[in-house]
Amino acid sequence: MKSRLIAGLVSALVALPIAAAPVASADRDTDFAAQLHGFGIYGQRDFNAWLAKITCKRLTTGVDADARESAVFLSQNLARTTTTEQVWQFLGAGIPLYCPEHTAALTALAGDHA
Amino acid sequence: MSSSRFRWIMRALLLIVTASAAAGLLASPQAFADATDEYPIPSKQIETLCDAEQYLAAARDTSPIYFERYMLDKSNRPLDVQQAAEDRIHWFYSLDAAGRRQYSEDTATNIYYEQVATRWGNWAKVFFNNKGVVAKATAVCMNYPRGDLSVWDWPVAR
Repeated sequence: MKSRLIAGLVSALVALPIAAAPVASADRDTDFAAQLHGFGIYGQRDFNAWLAKITCKRLTTGVDADARESAVFLSQNLARTTTTEQVWQFLGAGIPLYCPEHTAALTALAGDHA
Repeated sequence: MSSSRFRWIMRALLLIVTASAAAGLLASPQAFADATDEYPIPSKQIETLCDAEQYLAAARDTSPIYFERYMLDKSNRPLDVQQAAEDRIHWFYSLDAAGRRQYSEDTATNIYYEQVATRWGNWAKVFFNNKGVVAKATAVCMNYPRGDLSVWDWPVAR
């Protein structure tokens, strides 16, 4: 009886991390592309993913001091037809996905307007 | 007209046609692998007053993926080759437009002229290879600080 209880407990302990494991996502770049499509931003998937990663790197290295400078960088490099709103949507989708550590840069800016 | 006379006339005509065709071929201009004002080095790069760092910083902002790939490629080279490339591009920007045009000619006509290229074929790709990249970067490079070497220290993903 006691051994059964222990076995059950062990099974539960083993099963827990498996159940709690994050749901396997197809691929970050694909997820990003899907989000962008929702905003009406198309273009090459790799290009957009790379641009988002470079945007992150520019925040990390300090080339862009804040999200506003990131938006300027993106508006220069996304397709000319991209609207200001879409630039910010690109940024809002890209930062949490590729560099969540910089999410504060986005929220700080949101605070400015509050 | 007798048939032998006719034959002679035809032979003479044939000779004239053959000789003129041969002369035309021999006199045609020979093909040379000359440089042009846009190749191998685009004219805007030849004429720009920016230095290497100003241009590179501008390319980082105007052609970020092209810049990223160049930096990634550079990071995969031995350190002495990376340094040689930096030194060589500094030398290039020290030349005036006539000197750069001559250098363009020298590299176009002699594949062994550029020694850095023997160790890294694409050593100056971001500077020379793409006319669009050069046009975009040279249009704004004057707005960046001169001689800011930190622009070369670009972290690349491993």
